[in-house]
Amino acid sequence: MAQPFALGPTARLFDNDWIGPCIVSLIAILAISWFQPAFLSSFNIFVLSSAIAVNMVIALGQLVIIGIGQMNLALGSIGGLVAISFVGVMEKFGIPVPIALAFALGIGVLMGMASGYIIARTMISAFIITLAGLQIFKGINLGITQAQPFYGVPDGVKAFGQASVLGPLPWLLVPMLLASAGVWYMFNRLRIGRHILALGANPHAAELSGIDPKVTIIWAHAVSGLLAATAGVMLVAKLQIGQPTIGDDWLITSFAAPVIGGAVLSGGRVSVGGTFFGVVIIAVITQALVIFNIDPFAVQIVLGALILWAVGINRLREVRIAKLQSMGAKT
Amino acid sequence: MTGVPRSSQMPATPSRSAVSMRVLLSNEFGLTALIALTAVVFALTLEGFTSPFSLFAMGRQIGIDTMIGLAMMAVIVTGGLDLSVGAIGVCAAMTFGWLAQTKGVPVLPSVVLAVLLGGGLGFINGFAVVKSGVHSFIITLASMSIFFGIMVFLTKAAAYNGLPAEVSAFGKFKFFKTISPLLLISVASCIGLALLYRFTVLGRQMLAAGANARAAELSGIRTGRVIVACHILTGLLAAMAGLLVVARTGAAVPSMAGQLGQDWLLPAFLAPVLGGTLLSGGRVSVLGTLLGATFVNVLTSGLLLMQVGSFWILAILGSMLLAAVFTDRARQVFLKSRGMI
Repeated sequence: MAQPFALGPTARLFDNDWIGPCIVSLIAILAISWFQPAFLSSFNIFVLSSAIAVNMVIALGQLVIIGIGQMNLALGSIGGLVAISFVGVMEKFGIPVPIALAFALGIGVLMGMASGYIIARTMISAFIITLAGLQIFKGINLGITQAQPFYGVPDGVKAFGQASVLGPLPWLLVPMLLASAGVWYMFNRLRIGRHILALGANPHAAELSGIDPKVTIIWAHAVSGLLAATAGVMLVAKLQIGQPTIGDDWLITSFAAPVIGGAVLSGGRVSVGGTFFGVVIIAVITQALVIFNIDPFAVQIVLGALILWAVGINRLREVRIAKLQSMGAKT
Repeated sequence: MTGVPRSSQMPATPSRSAVSMRVLLSNEFGLTALIALTAVVFALTLEGFTSPFSLFAMGRQIGIDTMIGLAMMAVIVTGGLDLSVGAIGVCAAMTFGWLAQTKGVPVLPSVVLAVLLGGGLGFINGFAVVKSGVHSFIITLASMSIFFGIMVFLTKAAAYNGLPAEVSAFGKFKFFKTISPLLLISVASCIGLALLYRFTVLGRQMLAAGANARAAELSGIRTGRVIVACHILTGLLAAMAGLLVVARTGAAVPSMAGQLGQDWLLPAFLAPVLGGTLLSGGRVSVLGTLLGATFVNVLTSGLLLMQVGSFWILAILGSMLLAAVFTDRARQVFLKSRGMI
């Protein structure tokens, strides 16, 4: 964002969206490993990174839509339908993995584009369109599978979900890194990313400056569909099974991580780095509840509280920035 | 379309054809026609569609879906929404189960306390929305997780299935072999809400605050309080919906509304949107919500009798939500082109 006055190097560092969540996650990791050294065992790091990898891709799928000032309730149902289609075509038709993968990612993009097209064409709120999409995709998923999982996951895919690429770090981190780099590049270097943020920040001004809102909205939803599909395939590899329930529990996490990472829900401001540390905080806290033998159901309460906390912090920051800017304007 | 007193927006002397066109294009008329058509087709083609038990089961489910729809409608009025209706409903149901089964509290006081708890949870939502100025989507997303989490934490995800016998007797009770008291409770709530929005100051203020918050504020309405009141109403109605489900199943089950209560979101939005409640706020149709829930259930029971799998029905209902918003958009465009708005 444009600074009307100069900030010192420390102030500039703390103006970043990711620095707060980064410090919080470091403190959390240090505190937990001080109480329980096994937290940093290589097995635990592997488990933790696998969870972070999948959740990061899910969160990125929502982040793109938050950037445009909308929301995607269908994210999880796209991921679930992609997951069972991926395993389904391999099990039923014996299709090789690369073609099945391309097919699965392709239908993810198509589902995203369909939502995007309807939203762009009718300008009906994304909430209600993606709520309908959620039910339609979930209904098709359950209609095809009759709520039974597909078991025919090839060994190569299974190995991908369980093998480590470097020391305790799982292979799953590779698609996560690619997706994060891709989304970062899109928002910071590509015209379409700029258009998404401009449209999210101020739709009217964006349109006046020649941005086509329809094309931008369809693009954002297509990218979101691709990311949801990627996360669905990653979960198949991680769980070793094509579960129809994949995606049912994505909603809260997909919003919590970007919001903790400083994303503004009305659009125009997102942070890939902040979202990553948001995902880390969620994963570390979830894991800590397990380690300290706290009721696993408490995760829901903690996640909800984290969202409220992050919304409050973001609000305070907005107020502070507005105050600083008005001071800068006076001098 | 957003105005509260609809008549004030119409031309001073509307021609008779414009009025009748308006009636023909209204959601209520369209839905009634659709319900009549579907019901007649199903009654003629499907055996068992008009059997007393089928009618009873349909009416009972219409009662539940109407209550869920009314709960969401009460907060859509303000242009907001409440993702936590399912979570509130389950919380109320489990509280009722705990009071009636474990604590031995008589049924009626348990009902009252459970409904009040729903109102309290709605108050928390409304208070947080108004005080933080953050959109109700994110606040209720967080609160649905918190409410549901606390409920599962306290109940250890165990159901209360030793409720007093009168609870399931109430759910099975039939007037004239076909009419469920659950349906009557929902119809009574519809009448109550219609009176609230039409004749009371508070109801008028709710509509005004939803139609144009700034104008309402300028004309002396304390919109913050009104929005909190809408959320409380949503909580009360969601709790009642939860209790209706308890009466139907005869037990209080933590998974009755799915993960985090998300399974209620479709019926919660489908009935009001079909009925013509505007998502941007300011206009409600109580009758439309009842008719919307009726249409959904007539269609669902017909499809079930036609051996369409219940999973596919989920996809069909999702498509119906899309069709409903499309129709609404098309009707507005048509009315605008004829200069009727």
